[in-house]
Amino acid sequence: METSDSEYFESADEDFQSDDEDTKTVSSVTKTEEKPNTKCVNDAIKKLEHVQLEDTQEKNSLNNNKKNDKGKTNKEIEDNINSNEITEDLAQIQATKGPGSKLNKVEASHPTSVKKRSKETDVPKKLGAKLSCKDSVAKPPQESPECVKNVDQKQPKESPECVKSADQKQPKSETSNIEENLWDESEIDWGKENEDDLWGNDDDWEPVNEPTVPPQREKIEPAQVKVPSSSSWGSWGTWDVSSIISTATQSVSTLTQGISTVLETGIGVPDPEELAKINQAEKEKLKEIVPDEDTDNSGFGLGNLVMGVSQLTKLVETTGTKVISGGLDTLETIGKKTMEVLQEGDPGLKKKRAFLKIDQDKPVLSQLLREAKEKAEEENKILEEKHFAKKAKNYETLFDDHQGLVHLEALEMLSKQCDIKLQTLLESYTDEALTEMQETMDQVKELCELPDEEEDEHANWTEIKEKLESAVSEISIPISYKKFVETWEETEAWLNNLKLEICDARELHQQAVETLAQLTAIAVEQFHKAGELLLVKEHRSTADEADSLVQLTTTLTSLIGVVAAKFSDKLNTKSSSSKNKEEINSLITNVFFEAANSSSYIQDAFQLLIPVLQVGAV
Amino acid sequence: MSYAYLFKYIIIGDTGVGKSCLLLQFTDKRFQPVHDLTIGVEFGARMITIDGKQIKLQIWDTAGQEAFRSITRSYYRGAAGALLVYDITRRETFNHLTTWLDDARQHSNSNMVIMLIGNKSDLESRREVKKEEGEAFAREHGLVFMETSAKTAANVEEAFINTAKEIYEKIQEGVFDINNEANGIKIGPQHSPTNPSLPGAGGAGGSQGSSCC
Repeated sequence: METSDSEYFESADEDFQSDDEDTKTVSSVTKTEEKPNTKCVNDAIKKLEHVQLEDTQEKNSLNNNKKNDKGKTNKEIEDNINSNEITEDLAQIQATKGPGSKLNKVEASHPTSVKKRSKETDVPKKLGAKLSCKDSVAKPPQESPECVKNVDQKQPKESPECVKSADQKQPKSETSNIEENLWDESEIDWGKENEDDLWGNDDDWEPVNEPTVPPQREKIEPAQVKVPSSSSWGSWGTWDVSSIISTATQSVSTLTQGISTVLETGIGVPDPEELAKINQAEKEKLKEIVPDEDTDNSGFGLGNLVMGVSQLTKLVETTGTKVISGGLDTLETIGKKTMEVLQEGDPGLKKKRAFLKIDQDKPVLSQLLREAKEKAEEENKILEEKHFAKKAKNYETLFDDHQGLVHLEALEMLSKQCDIKLQTLLESYTDEALTEMQETMDQVKELCELPDEEEDEHANWTEIKEKLESAVSEISIPISYKKFVETWEETEAWLNNLKLEICDARELHQQAVETLAQLTAIAVEQFHKAGELLLVKEHRSTADEADSLVQLTTTLTSLIGVVAAKFSDKLNTKSSSSKNKEEINSLITNVFFEAANSSSYIQDAFQLLIPVLQVGAV
Repeated sequence: MSYAYLFKYIIIGDTGVGKSCLLLQFTDKRFQPVHDLTIGVEFGARMITIDGKQIKLQIWDTAGQEAFRSITRSYYRGAAGALLVYDITRRETFNHLTTWLDDARQHSNSNMVIMLIGNKSDLESRREVKKEEGEAFAREHGLVFMETSAKTAANVEEAFINTAKEIYEKIQEGVFDINNEANGIKIGPQHSPTNPSLPGAGGAGGSQGSSCC
C-alpha cells in the first residue's frame, strides 16, 4: 500500500510535468519523466493483481452480507483505489509514452484547455490520494480524523511543490495551480465526509463517464482518452462492478454531472483569477457546511452504506448546484456592477430614461416657429431689396417681438419637466397604483379635450370679455386677461379711426397680422404663467383648472376668429372699391391663414399644460 | 433686427437682490424702485455689438423666491451665460451663493460663463459684504466679478457685455459648439449655413472675415 502511495505522488508530479510540457514551460520535475513510465507499467501490473485478489475478496465479503462491515468496506476501498490508480497510470502511460498520443495532441492544440483538463484529471487523482492515505493509515472508520490529518499533512507537502514549480514557470500558470490547490482542499472536505462511498462511486467513474458525457468539447477529451483503459478493464474479466449497489451508480452519474458542471462553469469564466476567487468562495462555503455534517459523521456506521451514498449524492448535488450558482453569481455580480455604474448619481436611471425620451420627441413648436421666422426674414430682406416695399414684418417675427416665442420655449421646458416627473412616478409604481395613476392621467387628458369648434362668428367682444373673466377667475391663480383686453381695445380703436380711403390694404393686412401675433403671444405668455403658478399652487383642483383652461383656450381662439373677421371685413370693403382685387383677396386669405395658425398655436400651448395638470392630479 | 448670434442668459440669485432691476436697467435704461415679485421667469432682450457683430442677448430673469426654485431650475438648460447676483447690503444673499452656483452648474452646460455680481453698490453706507470678499469668491470658483448698481446704472452695461464678450471668445476658441443649441447660442438668420463665408460645422474663428451690415 505504501508503494501505491508514493506511486501516486510520483504520478501526480508527472501529471504536473506533462502539463508543463504542453504549456512549453521549463519543468522542475523533468527528471521523473522516464522513471514513471516504466514504473507505471510495473505498478499497473502489480495493481492488476491486487485488483483481482481484492475483487474476489470483495465478492466474499458481499456474500457475508455485512457480517464484517469494516472489512468489506476496506476491501471495497482498496479495490476502488487500485482500480482507479490503474486507470490513472494507464492514462499516463499513454500520455507519456506516446508523445504524439491523442492526449498530447489535444493539449498542444488547445493550450487554453490544459488548465481545465488538468483539473479534471486531478480530481479523481486527488481523491485517490486521500483514500489511499486513508487505507494505509486509518482502516477503521473511527480513525478517520487521523486520516484526514494525514491527508492534510500530505497535501501541503504536495502543494508547495506544485506552487514552487509553478513559480518557476509562468506567473499565469500560478493561478491555475492555486485553483487546483483550492480544489484539492475542497476535495479533502469531501474525503473527510464520505471517503468510503466516494470510492464506491469512483469505481464507476470511467464507464459512466463515457455514455453520460457526450464527446463534444475539448474538456471532455480526457475522458475519451481514458476509454481504452476502461475497455482494457473489461478484458480483466473477473473484475466485478455489479457489486456496487444501484444507488451508487446513480450517485456516480450525479457526481459526473457535478464535476462536469464544475468544468463547464470553469470554462464559462474567462479569467482564471476570477475562477480562483470563485473557488475560494466555494471552498469557504464548503467549509461552512462540512462542520455540520461532521457531526452526522460521528454516528456513521460503515454498514449504512446506502445512506452514506445518498448523503454523498446529496453532497455532490449541492456542490454541483453551488458551483453552478457560483457561476451564476459571477454573472449576477457583473450585471449588478453594470447597473450600479449606470445608476451612479442617477437612481432608477430616471435621468437617462428621461433624456432618451426627450430625444425621441417630435420637433418642438418653438423651434419650428423660429426657423419659419428666420426663413421669412431672409425672404423679406430679398424682397425689400427688390421692391421698395415698406418693411413688412412677418407673423413669426412679430410673435417673437412680443416674446411669444420665448414664453413658448419656457412653457415647453416646463411641460417637459412635468413629463419627466410623471414618467419617474409611473416607473416607481407597480400594479394597482400604476393603473390608478394612468387612469388619473387619462381622466385629466379627457378633461382637457377641446370641444369641436363651433364657428362662433357672432360672438361679440362683450361676450368674449365675460368669458375670459370667468375663465380666469375659476382657475384661482393670479393670471390676468387684462392684456387681451388692452390689445383688443387698442386694435378696435385703430380700426374705428381707420380711414379706409387713405389706408393701404397692405397696411391693414400688416395691422391684422400684428394683432394676431400679439394676441397669440399674450395667450402663450398667460399659459406659461398659468403653468408656473399652478406648479407652485398648494391646493390643486385639477377639474376646475382643466375646465378653466379649456374655456380660456376656446375663448381665445374665438377671439382670434373675431379679430380675423373684423380685419377681413375692412379688407373686403376696401376690395370692392379697389382695382387690385386679386391682391386684396390674397391678403384676406393670408389673414385667415395666420388666424388659423394663431388658433393652433394657442391650442398647442394649452396642450403643453396637460402634464402640469396631471402632475397636480397624481 | 437680424443678428449674428443669440445668447441665452439667465439671471439667478436670492429674492430682492435686484435681478429684475438689473434687467430693466439693461434693456430699458431705467430704474424702478418698486418691482413686482417675479413669477417663474420673465424675459428681456437687447441687441449689442461685439467685434462688429450684432448679438442678441435673450435674458431669462428668474424668480428668486424659494417656491419657484424647482421651476426656475428647469430653465437653466441651454444658457450660455449666467449672472449670479447678490446684494452687498445683505450678507445672507452672499452666503447663499454656493447653493446657487451648485444649482447652476448642475443644471446647465459646463461651458456656461458665470458672472458674479454684487448689486446695490450705490448703498455704500449699508454695505455688509466687502468687495474683496466677492473677488475672493469669484477667484475661488472661477467666475468673473463685478459690483453694479441697477439704480445708478454703474457697471450694468459692462456686466452684460463683458459676459457676452467672454462667450464670444469661447466661440472663437471653439469651446462652444455653436451648432449645438444646448449651449445657449443660436446663429442668426444671416449666419445660416447657406452663407458660404461662414464655417459650416462646429468651427469658430472663421467668421471674422464675414461682413455684417
